Amino acid sequence: MKYRLKIAEDIVDVDVSHSDNEHAVQAILEGKEYHVHYQSVVNGCFHLVMDGKSIDVFVATGYQGKYIFVNGQTFFVQDADQLRAPRTRRRGPEEIPGEITPPMPSVVLRIMVKEGERVKRGQGIVVVSAMKMQTTLVAPSDGIITRIHTSIDAKVAPGDILVEIEKEENNNE
Amino acid sequence: MSMFKKILIANRGEIAVRIIRTCREMGIQTVAVYSKVDKAAAHVLEADEAVVLGEPEPSASYLNIERIIAAATRTSAEAIHPGYGFLAENSEFAECCETSGITFIGPPSSVLRDLGNKTMARRTMESADVPLIPGMLEASHDIARLCQEAAQIGFPLMVKAVAGGGGKGMRIVFHPEALEESCISAMSEAEKAFGDDSLYLEKHIESPRHVEFQMLADHHGNVVHLFERECSIQRRYQKIIEETPSPAMTPALRNEMAEVAVSAIKASGYINAGTVEFLLDHSGRFYFLEVNARLQVEHPITELTTGIDCVRQQLEIAAGNPLTFTQEDIAQRGHAIECRIYAEDPEANFFPSPGTVSLYREPCGPGIRNDSGIYEGCEVPMEYDPILSKLIVTAQTREATRRRMLRALTTYVILGIRTTIPFLIDVLSSEEFAKGHTHTGFLDRHFKNWSQGKADEDVARIAYVIEEIVSRGRPSTVVSKKGFPTPWETLGEWRI
Repeated sequence: MKYRLKIAEDIVDVDVSHSDNEHAVQAILEGKEYHVHYQSVVNGCFHLVMDGKSIDVFVATGYQGKYIFVNGQTFFVQDADQLRAPRTRRRGPEEIPGEITPPMPSVVLRIMVKEGERVKRGQGIVVVSAMKMQTTLVAPSDGIITRIHTSIDAKVAPGDILVEIEKEENNNE
Repeated sequence: MSMFKKILIANRGEIAVRIIRTCREMGIQTVAVYSKVDKAAAHVLEADEAVVLGEPEPSASYLNIERIIAAATRTSAEAIHPGYGFLAENSEFAECCETSGITFIGPPSSVLRDLGNKTMARRTMESADVPLIPGMLEASHDIARLCQEAAQIGFPLMVKAVAGGGGKGMRIVFHPEALEESCISAMSEAEKAFGDDSLYLEKHIESPRHVEFQMLADHHGNVVHLFERECSIQRRYQKIIEETPSPAMTPALRNEMAEVAVSAIKASGYINAGTVEFLLDHSGRFYFLEVNARLQVEHPITELTTGIDCVRQQLEIAAGNPLTFTQEDIAQRGHAIECRIYAEDPEANFFPSPGTVSLYREPCGPGIRNDSGIYEGCEVPMEYDPILSKLIVTAQTREATRRRMLRALTTYVILGIRTTIPFLIDVLSSEEFAKGHTHTGFLDRHFKNWSQGKADEDVARIAYVIEEIVSRGRPSTVVSKKGFPTPWETLGEWRI
């Protein structure tokens, strides 16, 4: 079976063959071949023997992906084929989102713009607070504020669109 | 010897849990207080009784003096332990306890007030011959006056708020031209944080070590120290790794600093457990920084190397009992390191990461202690400090302790939220840390723009697929095809 698995921005093809009764898989990632025996210890905990080396890994399901713990590091792994297709309006590496969304669950402290206002790239748009730390979310590009979807004291989460910005085409990059 | 029958803990998280544990060992009943978002928090589950204070915001709950005193009165708690943070160094709170006939487990309110005023503390220390960082002894909010003083002190210098703490209202200024601007912004920050915009200036000490002494003082005039802790690994003026003994310490320097720390405690009339903080420069000169008038976050490293339970001592002292040991009875043995585990994403500029802890495994084995305020399935709320737990390890030597900490960190599983564990592993693994070349600028110098290593990414991707296979129950061999094989087509039964 084939997967395209994403960690941060890197998508890697993973080709896995698995034989039913052996608790073993063979995986090819970017030309590298791995032979892995696995044991499911308890829910979320797997003991792997990978090319002779034993590793305990822990897996927990999160929003649109799994958190995977290996040797003290945690990777957030996503199936690229299951992710919502990126917006079609613009594609490619230079795509700049026209939305302001908080990086973590937080509370809106201040909204520094009004609808219709023209903003510069890097200008502060919304200040959110979580765990005693304040963070200013800034405009990703020059543009015009088209919609404000939030209010002071609102509890917000990643993915919530707080402010929409229409990018000004001729001014930037 | 008298002792309380019941106390209230005016705090939450790992420190509330830690205090409750000592109380249980001493046969003292405990009352937890909590906000609405914390009704299933670890400290609530651990206490004998729990009283709800109100809404999640601190002003309605853990900072609400009136409600906390009312909770203590209603449950007949004889004393209140404030932990650290929240109301721990609030002299008004200590005074309210005193006037309500409740023992405040900490120094007298008058001492808290005097030490909370940083320039008054500096004057007290100067009169006791405690070496100060060169700078002002009187605070001011007159910019012209501050500029005059700055010319005398010289640059670079530190701008500090007289009511300061936690790095608020603090600025480093390298050039005279930047002074006025820094003072104005520090004033506004200090006004917002403390309701007092007065500032004072101190000479900037270049890349010092932060070295502090744990002190105990009883009501009978006995003062002892429990040796030093070095807390140089800091981010945004917050300590994240602490150790004892300090790698920079010599027996002669330790004696000298400890003697000064005892004078500082005596000069301020301090009673209970407290910490005298110093900066130690490259040439071995040290300067008084401040007195932390509370139980410190990092107290467990002292406990592990001296065998003395700091919380038990706080309770004994607050109950009026004399210390049962003298300075000569106290010895330090081995080495200890503490790592603070925060709910922050170290790859996203340490942005807070609240949420649900979906999987949790604590490290264990020889020499490991984990003071935790979380459990599997618990919610980490966004309203409070991001500290989740403190991992403390001890071993015979510094190097053995460092390696033990690495073993502990690499087996500490917290999934569902982001934590600082991967970052701590890299700091502990670094050559500079291993050599003990630590100073307060360490993280800025060596770990700016840190990101997690990629070596184990292949393992993580393979683990992803194995989890899919196992969770599907009976696996079947799937023929792979070229192009875009979506798992929906190829895997059959699916689990969300």
